[in-house]
Amino acid sequence: MVDQRSHFHSELAALEQTLLDVADRCERMVGLAVEALTTGDTDLCEEVFVADKAIDATYLDTHNRWLSMMARQQPMGGDLRLMSALLHVNVTLERMGDQCVNIANLARLSAGLPARDRIIEQIREMADLVRPMIRTAAEALVRRDADEARLLPAMDEPIDRINRLMYREVVDCAPDTRMLEWATHMMMAARALERIGDQSVDIGEQVAFLVTGEFQEFSEKGFVARASAD
Amino acid sequence: MTSDEKEIDTMTIDHAVREDIDLRELPDRPVLFDVTDLSVYYGDFQAVADVTLGIREHEITALIGPSGCGKSTVLRCFDRMNDLIEGARVEGTITYHGIDLYGADVDPVEVRRRIGMVFQKPNPFPKTIFENVAFGPRIAGWKGNYDDLVEETLTKAALWDEVKDKLSEPALALSGGQQQRLCIARAIATSPDVVLMDEPCSALDPIATLRIEQLMMDLKQDYTIIIVTHNMQQAARVSDRTAFFSVDVTDEGQRTGRLIEFDRTEMIFTNPTQKDTEDYITGRFG
Repeated sequence: MVDQRSHFHSELAALEQTLLDVADRCERMVGLAVEALTTGDTDLCEEVFVADKAIDATYLDTHNRWLSMMARQQPMGGDLRLMSALLHVNVTLERMGDQCVNIANLARLSAGLPARDRIIEQIREMADLVRPMIRTAAEALVRRDADEARLLPAMDEPIDRINRLMYREVVDCAPDTRMLEWATHMMMAARALERIGDQSVDIGEQVAFLVTGEFQEFSEKGFVARASAD
Repeated sequence: MTSDEKEIDTMTIDHAVREDIDLRELPDRPVLFDVTDLSVYYGDFQAVADVTLGIREHEITALIGPSGCGKSTVLRCFDRMNDLIEGARVEGTITYHGIDLYGADVDPVEVRRRIGMVFQKPNPFPKTIFENVAFGPRIAGWKGNYDDLVEETLTKAALWDEVKDKLSEPALALSGGQQQRLCIARAIATSPDVVLMDEPCSALDPIATLRIEQLMMDLKQDYTIIIVTHNMQQAARVSDRTAFFSVDVTDEGQRTGRLIEFDRTEMIFTNPTQKDTEDYITGRFG
């Protein structure tokens, strides 16, 4: 079989590769931002801001490349589904970068305030849970693996749980107003990490659409139902 | 789950899977042509093998596929044009309104009155614009007001405003796109219920092409349309359902067309079930 559209397919593969690189950068940014937040090393924040600027530039460039390919090539079938998925992934990754910037800003605001180890541990745990989610979403895309993508809601569940309980930890800091201020920042950081988990699930949904042609939102319920049916 | 957890949980957005809503579903219109195991032979050569599909009323059905896949051959079965080719033989059945189109008591001339055809190259008669439209009904012995008929037909074919002041001028003086719309007017002047179109835009410029496509979408209110096109984007733009044909080549080099997939157009172009279809629409073939 001859690929009669090999130029277009090379362009499409390059677009996908660009986004996989961005996913990789986002995953590292989460690490940097949470390191800055939990250690008070605010020099790391600057690295996050620089990385986000680069992601924003790639986001705009990717959008323009996408639009040009759509206008010139009129993709069909699997190519069309991949184009659709990549448009969503592009937006989602850009937002992940923004969440990392939010965390880095919170790191700056929190520096010098009294901290509580228990909350720091929980923030670190959330980061340790969310980074593999970004990797899993990217791998599922590379492998065109809808089953791997469907693992993401279950991976997201403990992150949601920690985030939901975080406010109780914050309330416990209330007697010390400076610590309360610090803990409020941590609650916002937890929220940002929770969003990154959700965004990884969103990418997984796009992978499942790409592979199956059916677009559905994942749910923990849906995941459990599917898993138990197997 | 603690009470606090439960309270917050109810505030989170419900991500439950929504009910399956298929926005792409088409209305369930009656089947006009029911094609079963259709094969077409020219002498010993089998041009098309085992085609089974249903053409629904008031829809546009596109037949697509690479050269030699038999899509035009299949189109010509719907108005029995293959009867005019020596050595052509049709096997299997095509029913039209439930009647066997190839039944012994069916008059092919009556078939062609009910099923009009528009060809690749505009081919108006070397007569006036008026006479091109009036020709079919005259041959059929229609008795009525021809002025009204011509106006009504040319209006339906989106040509009236452009030609109303020059009805007695030769049709061949019109532009290519106007000639093709005149041919569509000629095809619908005998009040058929089906219009077959064999590559109707391949000789036209992009603007004339869009006008024909627009016209097709208007005409499907009154007619059932089957179009053969090489232009996949055209099939995607205008049709409700698409049949994708491919070609099998034997060791002896004999090429036989085969229906690979028939589905709603959106499905064919976004998520086809057959690998051959996917390869064709994404340009992986040859």
